[in-house]
Amino acid sequence: MESFFQALTLAFSPYAIGAVGFGTFVGLVFGSIPGLTFTVALALALPITFSMAPVPAIGLLLGTYIGGMTGGSVSAILLGIPGTPSAAATVLDGHPMTKNGEASIALGTAVIVSVFGGVFSLVVMIVSVDLVSRIAIEFGPAQIFALVLFGFSTICGLCGPSLLKGLISGVLGLMIMTIGLDAIEGIPRMTFGSINMLQGVNLLVAMIGLFAVPFIIEAFSQKDDVSFGDRPMAKVRTELPSFRLLFKNLWLMIRCSVIGTGIGAIPGTGGAIASFLAYDHAKRFSKSGRKFGKGNIEGVIAPETANNAVTGGTLIPLLSLGIPGDPATAIVLAGLMIHGIVPGPALFMNHEVEVYGMYVAVVLAYFWVLGLQLLGIRLFVHVLKVPREMLAVVVLVLCAVGAYSIRNSAFDIYSMAVIGVGAYVLVGLRVPITPIILGMVLGPTLENEFRTAMMLSEGELSIFYTSPTVVIFFGLAALIIILQGISELKLRRRSRQEVQTTDA
Amino acid sequence: MTNQQQNTILGLVLLAVASVWTWLVIDTIPPGFGDGDIGPRAFPLIFGLSLGALSILLLIQAYLRARGVEKPEGQGAEAGSSIHWIPAFTLLVEISFYGVLLEKTGFVIATMVIIVLVMWLNLKVRSPLKIGLMSVGTTLTCWIIFEKILGIYLANGTWINLG
Repeated sequence: MESFFQALTLAFSPYAIGAVGFGTFVGLVFGSIPGLTFTVALALALPITFSMAPVPAIGLLLGTYIGGMTGGSVSAILLGIPGTPSAAATVLDGHPMTKNGEASIALGTAVIVSVFGGVFSLVVMIVSVDLVSRIAIEFGPAQIFALVLFGFSTICGLCGPSLLKGLISGVLGLMIMTIGLDAIEGIPRMTFGSINMLQGVNLLVAMIGLFAVPFIIEAFSQKDDVSFGDRPMAKVRTELPSFRLLFKNLWLMIRCSVIGTGIGAIPGTGGAIASFLAYDHAKRFSKSGRKFGKGNIEGVIAPETANNAVTGGTLIPLLSLGIPGDPATAIVLAGLMIHGIVPGPALFMNHEVEVYGMYVAVVLAYFWVLGLQLLGIRLFVHVLKVPREMLAVVVLVLCAVGAYSIRNSAFDIYSMAVIGVGAYVLVGLRVPITPIILGMVLGPTLENEFRTAMMLSEGELSIFYTSPTVVIFFGLAALIIILQGISELKLRRRSRQEVQTTDA
Repeated sequence: MTNQQQNTILGLVLLAVASVWTWLVIDTIPPGFGDGDIGPRAFPLIFGLSLGALSILLLIQAYLRARGVEKPEGQGAEAGSSIHWIPAFTLLVEISFYGVLLEKTGFVIATMVIIVLVMWLNLKVRSPLKIGLMSVGTTLTCWIIFEKILGIYLANGTWINLG
């Protein structure tokens, strides 16, 4: 209890409240602009946290994450273009509501249900993290290796339409992370005699390159394609929904929160899947199912509750096991590690105050979301009118500042440029980027735990098949890959049959 | 370019990367001593070989799809997405130039120069007022926020420095 009060004091300092508010504002702005996701915002915000104390720093990152997740609904409702992938399902009924002249109530409802989903998932997270940590504390190197392998295979398997390309992307991430000094024996690997390369490819530099540079190239290439300036949005405000409306949909909100939290807890899934599942669920069980797609408020409530519930869900494997489920939580993980907070089973033993501080920061972030969205919606409407290419110029400068400030080295700026352009080409070839970043995050753990396990067993591989936990994780990893392979084969067979039918 | 052609080229490039990587790993990283010491070579080698195997699978898949044995991924055989090579390459050069400028002239001058360059070259903006406002405004805002408020170290130039 003492730790909790200590955390409250830290989180409620004006500095921490301001940091969470700043992060939430940045997240909302980035989330509301189509193409400029909150992952970019997180990558750019990370260097700002270097000089901050742990609780305000993590609060800023969590605020950016939560603000970004909520901000996606603004452009989804007003423009019919989702600001983030997780807001894609909101477009289906949110934008028709705007066309029907109900934009204000759609925005207001989206904010309220987002806060509900987020707080619901936070409660589930608080209970689950402690529980999972208590189980995972018994894990040795072999178990951790198997667990990381399982998490990694899930991410590679679920993040894109092609399992093969997902795996290629993951292996590329793992390869990049082996560059530099070997962590166990201190031997240089693939450094070509360069001193700069000895520290390896910096994770933060890579993150900035992977997420921000492709956006800049896209914005510069398609500068005339996207223009929101001429759309009439000036009279929009946020109108709070009535208690009657909220009470009527309370059971739907609870069900969608459960969907969001559950989906979020599975690495490699994320907000987009959760929001579409919730939308489908709401449509299927609604009494007014026929009105879906024409401006039904339930079609806004379901996806917005679910995608915000994902935030708490993704933090469960991150905090309890050290496995980030998506790029955004991978950046949060990097932020935690910068401040010496290593997520995993021992997190509560070593950093109890900081963990409680994070919980409080999440609640604070939702209060900020509520306040900023209710009072500042007109500002976001104006932000949407700023040309995307002009924002890209600012992002370019922020990228360079971020990459340079990590080690005060121009080498990191060159690395960022090369990785970013490489990522852009890979995205163009439909190779998913998420497994690269997660390969980079999980790669060192994967290698170090395997090597430690082999040292402990004096070279006996039996350490990897005598423990039931290890066998279960290996089995689950194989199952995920096999199931994904089967689903791809089924999809192809179905497409081939459709082609044959069409030809006939 | 079709999806299959793109996948074939991607597969070939990745196979080349995997081959060079594996060769370099074997040539430059020492193996472990055995008896539980896996050594620093094992994992880079496994990853290189895995990439090679996966790129061969990608090539086989592209070949089968080109022969019509398998249905192509995405929207169809002709739905290869476009990569804007010139803006991508231009940005690579510009960011690298920005890095050099930061070290030589410091944050303030380098940022102003790079914004003018990007607006002129990439965005085709010709209004001196717009370019001037954007470059001075962005530079000063970043300088005040990062250097003065947040205390983040911004580059100092070795030739000249303004901030």
